[in-house]
Amino acid sequence: MAIVNLHNVTYKYPLTETPALQNVNLRVKEGEFVAIIGRNGAGKSTLCYTLAGFVPHFFKGELTGSVEVAGMDASKSHLHEWVLNVGLVFQNPFNQISGAKYTVFEEIAFGLENIGVPRDEMKVRVEEAMRLTGISDLADRSPYSLSGGQQQRVALTSILVMQPKVLVLDEPTSQLDPIGAREVFGVIRTMAEQGMTVVLAEHKVEWIARFADRVVALHEGKIILDGTPREVLTSDLLLDKGFGISRYTSAARKARELGLWRQEQLPVTLEEAAEGFALTPNASPKRRCESK
Amino acid sequence: MSLNRSFFVPIDSPLHRLNPLTKLTFVFAMIISAFLSVPDMAPALAVLVLLTGFIGKVQRQYRTVLLKLILPAILFMFVMQSVFLPGGETILIQVGRFDVARENVRAAFLTVSRVFVMVSSFAILLLTTHPSKLMADLTRRGLPPQLAYVIISTLQILPQMQAKAQTILSAQRSRGLDTESTFLKRVRAIVPLVGPLVFGSLVEVEERAIAIEARGFTSPRAKTFLYEVPDTRADRLIRWTLVIFTLLSLAARIWLS
Ligand SMILES: Nc1ncnc2c1ncn2[C@@H]1O[C@H](COP(=O)(O)OP(=O)(O)O)[C@@H](O)[C@H]1O
Ligand SMILES: [Mg+2]
Repeated sequence: MAIVNLHNVTYKYPLTETPALQNVNLRVKEGEFVAIIGRNGAGKSTLCYTLAGFVPHFFKGELTGSVEVAGMDASKSHLHEWVLNVGLVFQNPFNQISGAKYTVFEEIAFGLENIGVPRDEMKVRVEEAMRLTGISDLADRSPYSLSGGQQQRVALTSILVMQPKVLVLDEPTSQLDPIGAREVFGVIRTMAEQGMTVVLAEHKVEWIARFADRVVALHEGKIILDGTPREVLTSDLLLDKGFGISRYTSAARKARELGLWRQEQLPVTLEEAAEGFALTPNASPKRRCESK
Repeated sequence: MSLNRSFFVPIDSPLHRLNPLTKLTFVFAMIISAFLSVPDMAPALAVLVLLTGFIGKVQRQYRTVLLKLILPAILFMFVMQSVFLPGGETILIQVGRFDVARENVRAAFLTVSRVFVMVSSFAILLLTTHPSKLMADLTRRGLPPQLAYVIISTLQILPQMQAKAQTILSAQRSRGLDTESTFLKRVRAIVPLVGPLVFGSLVEVEERAIAIEARGFTSPRAKTFLYEVPDTRADRLIRWTLVIFTLLSLAARIWLS
């Protein structure tokens, strides 16, 4: 069953000529973990906003084609219905803090207050969500006193506590230091493993390769590749279009030119690369000199 | 402490336990009576407010506010009004070329008492009331949530804006921007700050709007509140007493003048 179904979606922001999304077709199965890659301006954020209902309900503009997510239809549903079903987390952790709350606990409860969840249930859900994301010890801190990684986990928890059916994340680690990024990635992985449908726009291809079920490559508003992480991330097309590429893929590609990579598939992760090189016969340093 | 962006002192006291609206009623009752009632009442009210601070067990924090904020302001006002106000017949002393008249000293004392009542009663409200509970209670009673949001987020975000302005300033200065010479030059130096600060803020405003929308802020469902804010019979009794007190003090003004 597809929980996300975009059919021929084309979208123009108000007052713009070129569409930010062009003929996008995307189906996501329930429980699938899909990563979206693309250069700056490719339309990743726009796609995330579309999945989360902010296009066209918040950013007006011109949308054609059909958008169906979690049983809702963009042309019929209101934004406040979308946010009950689709959670959105984006880049800047600071801007996702509501600013109306003094502690992390209150901050996470904010969404539940807004949608009218009874107090007792609210407390239980907030505590449970904090345990899930590993931030229980931050409950009484001010959201403003936290590190970027902690703030982003608070933002993520504030969305998860609303129990969305689909979780959409727009480059959630791009403004974090490596430690903060690792913490946030850890939570995303947990959610995906627990069977939540996750759509993640992300640059870190090695991480995507290890954990995503599927990768979609966006270029100038169009989907140019859609497949398993290894298929998509090792494609020569990414190289032509100037995408960020795993250093292991680049190394193996170079090695292939030198005849040192004999596998059909290029690797994306360190493990795949190590495995591949181990299988290459006669790849000793001596032999390499002779072949030159 | 996590509430470092508010004045709230997280302890327990009879005042802390009162409903926020009761304390807000107290603030307005004191201010209205101090400004509109018979003039002699303001100093008495000042004493009353001061004593209330003790019930709230916040005298230590209140003293800080008093010394740092209230006293300097009212001393300044007192001196300005008693020394520099012209007129008055009974000259008490002379300060340089200025006569200090008894009438002006009296008027100054009155003004100062009124300001004292206003600022102090507000301070006591803020020192003994959790800001989230204040807003939750008022929203429950019908204050538009958007207004509550604007009030509280402005209070929280202001220090952030300040910090950001400072960062931009340092960055511009490190590129050789002159911010320390003559007034005109300094004004000119501010101009390049406006862009990043305002443009940055607009983008931030949009993102924050998305963020709170994503948390169901505009949901048509009836809101619920994390904190239970009790409203007891004692609260209602105190509120009515304060309202009657205010009405009587206004009546006194009409009858006695
Ligand atoms: N609010 C907006 N108004 C007009 N154009 C926009 C807006 N946001 C993004 N765009 C344009 O849409 C295109 C896709 O942008 P975006 O989705 O942000 O890309 P990405 O997230 O992949 O960097 C870009 O050409 C960008 O300039
Ligand atoms: Mg983007």
